[in-house]
Amino acid sequence: MRLFIYLSEMLGRKVCDSNGRVIGRLTDVSMRLADEVFPRAESLIISRGFIVKQYMSVAIESFERLGKNLKIKKDAGQVNFKPEKLRVDFSLCRDILDQQVVDTHDQKVVRVNDVHLLRVDNQIYLAHVDVGLRGLVRRLGWQKFIDAIVKMIVPDSPYLKEEELISWRNSQALTLGRNKNVLRFNEAKRKLARIPPTQLAEIMEDLDIFEKLSLFKSFTFDLQKKVFTDLAPQEKEELIDQLTDREAADLIENIPSDEAVDLLADIPKEKSAKWLRLIHSATSKQLRKLLGFAQDSAGGLMTTEYLYLKRDALVGDAMAKIKKFVDYPGNIFHVYIVDDEHKLLGATSLRRFINEDDKKPLIETCYPKRIFVRTDDDVEEIALLLEKYKFSSIPVLDENDVLQGVITTDDVLEELISLAWTKYKDQL
Amino acid sequence: MNKLLQKIQESKPYRNLLIFFAIMGPGIITANVDNDAGGIATYSLAGAHYGYTLIWSLIPITIALVIVMEMCARMAVATGKGLADLIRENYGVKITFYMMVALFFVNLTNVMAEFAGVAASLEIFGISKYISVPLAGLFVWMLVVKGTYRSVEKVFLFACLFYVAYIISGVIAKPDWKEVFQQTINPQIDWSLDYTVMLVGLVGTTIAPWMTFYLQSSTVEKGVAVEDYDHLRLDVVGGSIIAPIVAFFIIVACAATLHKAGITIHSAKEAALALKPLAGNYATILFSGGLFIASIFAASILPISTAYSVCEGMGWDAGVDKRTEEAPQFFWLYAVMIIIGAGVVLIPNFPLLKMMYLSQVGNGILLPIVLVLMVRLSNDRDIMGEFTNSRWLNIVTWITVSVIIVLTLFMVGFLFLFPNTVI
Repeated sequence: MRLFIYLSEMLGRKVCDSNGRVIGRLTDVSMRLADEVFPRAESLIISRGFIVKQYMSVAIESFERLGKNLKIKKDAGQVNFKPEKLRVDFSLCRDILDQQVVDTHDQKVVRVNDVHLLRVDNQIYLAHVDVGLRGLVRRLGWQKFIDAIVKMIVPDSPYLKEEELISWRNSQALTLGRNKNVLRFNEAKRKLARIPPTQLAEIMEDLDIFEKLSLFKSFTFDLQKKVFTDLAPQEKEELIDQLTDREAADLIENIPSDEAVDLLADIPKEKSAKWLRLIHSATSKQLRKLLGFAQDSAGGLMTTEYLYLKRDALVGDAMAKIKKFVDYPGNIFHVYIVDDEHKLLGATSLRRFINEDDKKPLIETCYPKRIFVRTDDDVEEIALLLEKYKFSSIPVLDENDVLQGVITTDDVLEELISLAWTKYKDQL
Repeated sequence: MNKLLQKIQESKPYRNLLIFFAIMGPGIITANVDNDAGGIATYSLAGAHYGYTLIWSLIPITIALVIVMEMCARMAVATGKGLADLIRENYGVKITFYMMVALFFVNLTNVMAEFAGVAASLEIFGISKYISVPLAGLFVWMLVVKGTYRSVEKVFLFACLFYVAYIISGVIAKPDWKEVFQQTINPQIDWSLDYTVMLVGLVGTTIAPWMTFYLQSSTVEKGVAVEDYDHLRLDVVGGSIIAPIVAFFIIVACAATLHKAGITIHSAKEAALALKPLAGNYATILFSGGLFIASIFAASILPISTAYSVCEGMGWDAGVDKRTEEAPQFFWLYAVMIIIGAGVVLIPNFPLLKMMYLSQVGNGILLPIVLVLMVRLSNDRDIMGEFTNSRWLNIVTWITVSVIIVLTLFMVGFLFLFPNTVI
């Protein structure tokens, strides 16, 4: 007996009872919902009738033979069919075959043409999904015909030898999440955790909103933050729209504030106001303030998350602060020194104090000149300053020299790229 | 002044208008592509040969068009998926595959018709088709490869104002409005074979399978949010009403000029006479310009939309931003569509008209299948959620779909039985 069998080879096959009488045909395979690398089949779903169909589910243990010939241990009299479709949590035909899955190895979304099953000890495991052309041909029932033609014309064609199989270890179903977030399993999380957030964001762009949501909800909050930040603006809006207000507010509160502001500026006012009310008051106040600035001014570009210390801080304090905030999404290489009114006294960077003595006052390591921009400076001025001093970030002060936030090069680049793109598009 | 401007900008109608313009597109564009070379030809013939007697049919056609298009847009918003995707996921690979094969060939013949339209319109200006068609093919290819399609789309939409010429011409020709009205409300239906075939032709050219796939994909691509569905519906319903209105005026203009003078249409030159009341001796130029725009607009959209749908259904990578080796099937399908579509027009003595019958037959066979699957999909609560068809809508939809099915089966039967009776 072959160890592996394709689902398409089994579907539609006759199922016999213990006396060899045909009781119906195989229509689906229901899988166990467990945290396993390779899910195991729980029962086979058999149907009979042509126009009015009846269904029955038979546990895998009651099969004498599994494969192209299916035989159950019971007698035909001991089974009863039901007139309606059976509700199962996870089945191969509904959730895997013809659906899209994430290939976590090549990091893309693929469509399943066939399912490769492993038969061991009278059990069936979901081993691979077939995403290749040959799988498609097999499903159409033309495999013998096409194989013969290809053999005749190109005997050593890769079509005949290479199957495009993806191990289930490296794939993740998506539609399961629509009714029951099955993705909450650790196994699913482990598979997805191997994909970098930027790639996950790209994968998400290929999915429909339900798949997006089920994938997104399977992430840890930390990963959610990162992936969300990497999504395109339109995708962000679409996704956050589907979250509950509480979830949306939590997310907005925890992503870099410049990202949050961009998002809030684009959505309807009623909605942004509702979310802002749910956000922790200090953050909400900051966001409201930022929302008041023009989007391409320093005030609109800046983030309010940065590292700052008081006038009397020592180098050791700065090191401790950087270590504490090492997971911080913003720029942590620059530390700003402020007075009691939060006016900027100076700026220093890790490079300037990393070799200094821990006891040295931090203010002595500051750049000799205070470089800053005002909240209403525009993006081109900021870009020129950043380029001139080769800084990766620059502080933003209001008219009273109070530190409002910092702008990092990537924020400026993002804005400039979109400006350049608009100009380029006009020239076309 | 600035204050006033600000006030306007903050007002609700203004915001609604902005949202509408942002969303506007899929419905209006589909409707305009619908009035392509084949459409103009059919409406002209209907008016020239049968006068006002076919005008009544535009009312049920409009209702059917609105229902079908609205269903597509709703499925797009509810599922975020294209029609090919949905069919594949819910009905399996076999149905999808054969449907995609049919869609490919049917659309290919439609593309041929568009390039034939390009050839016919420019031949009036004395440009040989051996020059115009390859250039048009190249133009269509460049549009997509260079990714400038989006900006050109606007130009096309603007160019569609050409149809206004028919409206004006229809009015200037002083048609007998009383008769037009009477024929609409109380039509003299003549159940002769020719008349019925023409009637079915009108339905077939207005409601085509490619529209459902195209509209749904472009709505998904546009990414319309659930709350903005009302604006989208306005766009789609508006488009579905504008298309038959244009058809109405084409028929009226042709009936008031050609039919009255007893001219039957044999070529584009005669069809152009319908614009004479407006443009006088420039009628031919106006007509061929319009036909050219309509043809090339449809020729730009059909190949790419077909390649997308087929790849979507078969699970192949697709997208103009991909490299050829990343999405080989997509680019091949696209290339084959254009090369064959434009190529056959250049073959001397190629039975182009026969191909167009075949495309009508193909449309006719495919449309009922697509419609039945669509209605079933839009009734599936697991897929559609709150956007599931309501009961009364279902009744109307099934009636509409059954009528379309009966009519298209009629047409297919006619085309097989009497292949020579059709124009």
